[in-house]
Amino acid sequence: MNFDPRGFSELTRKATEMMSDTADVPSVLRSRLGDQHELTRAADQMVASVEILVRELRSFDTSAEPVVTDNYQDQ
Amino acid sequence: MELAVSIGSRLGSDHRLTELANTAASNIDNTLREVRNAAAQKQVSAPGLAGLHGALQTATLPVSPTEEIHDPAPVVTSFPSLAGLDSEHWLHAFVDELLAQARASGGITFESTERLLQQRKDEFLRDFLTARRMYRAYPRLFPEIGDEPPQAISP
Repeated sequence: MNFDPRGFSELTRKATEMMSDTADVPSVLRSRLGDQHELTRAADQMVASVEILVRELRSFDTSAEPVVTDNYQDQ
Repeated sequence: MELAVSIGSRLGSDHRLTELANTAASNIDNTLREVRNAAAQKQVSAPGLAGLHGALQTATLPVSPTEEIHDPAPVVTSFPSLAGLDSEHWLHAFVDELLAQARASGGITFESTERLLQQRKDEFLRDFLTARRMYRAYPRLFPEIGDEPPQAISP
């Protein structure tokens, strides 16, 4: 199938950005609600699915940028 | 999610990447919806969840003690309640922690109070940054905030 590789690089970049933006949601919920809470598990599932998507996109698009995470660290 | 639509339009709806993108979009939507529902219904007792949702509102609305009383709450005589603050306001948790600390240690010092207040501030900023990213990424999931003009941060 034909597709624009430049457009795909942009999609990969956006997905990577989305992964960074959502990376700390599970840790925030875990610290407040605990490991077993349904919201924590839902957030874990959300982040995992985004990570899988980014990994597969990067495999598909070899020109993608390196993955950069932006986890907030507790002081 | 636009990303899933873009991938689907390029590769087709049956492609593995499209399925992964749809799954990710669905998980994000579900998570945010559940967080919003839980915060709105106040069924979760943990203060952090209210903070996540509250931080979103704080990002766009000024603190307005006399306008934020929504619950026909029972009479409570705590200082924040007397001040007319919402039950989820951070001052409630701060005062409770301060009093608990005073009971445990036998007194209140400026240093311990400052530490506690700094913890509250750090916690608020963490929640605010997370909530702001969520709102910017998915504004349509927060329709009640979208129409409000942006305001300065005021925990």
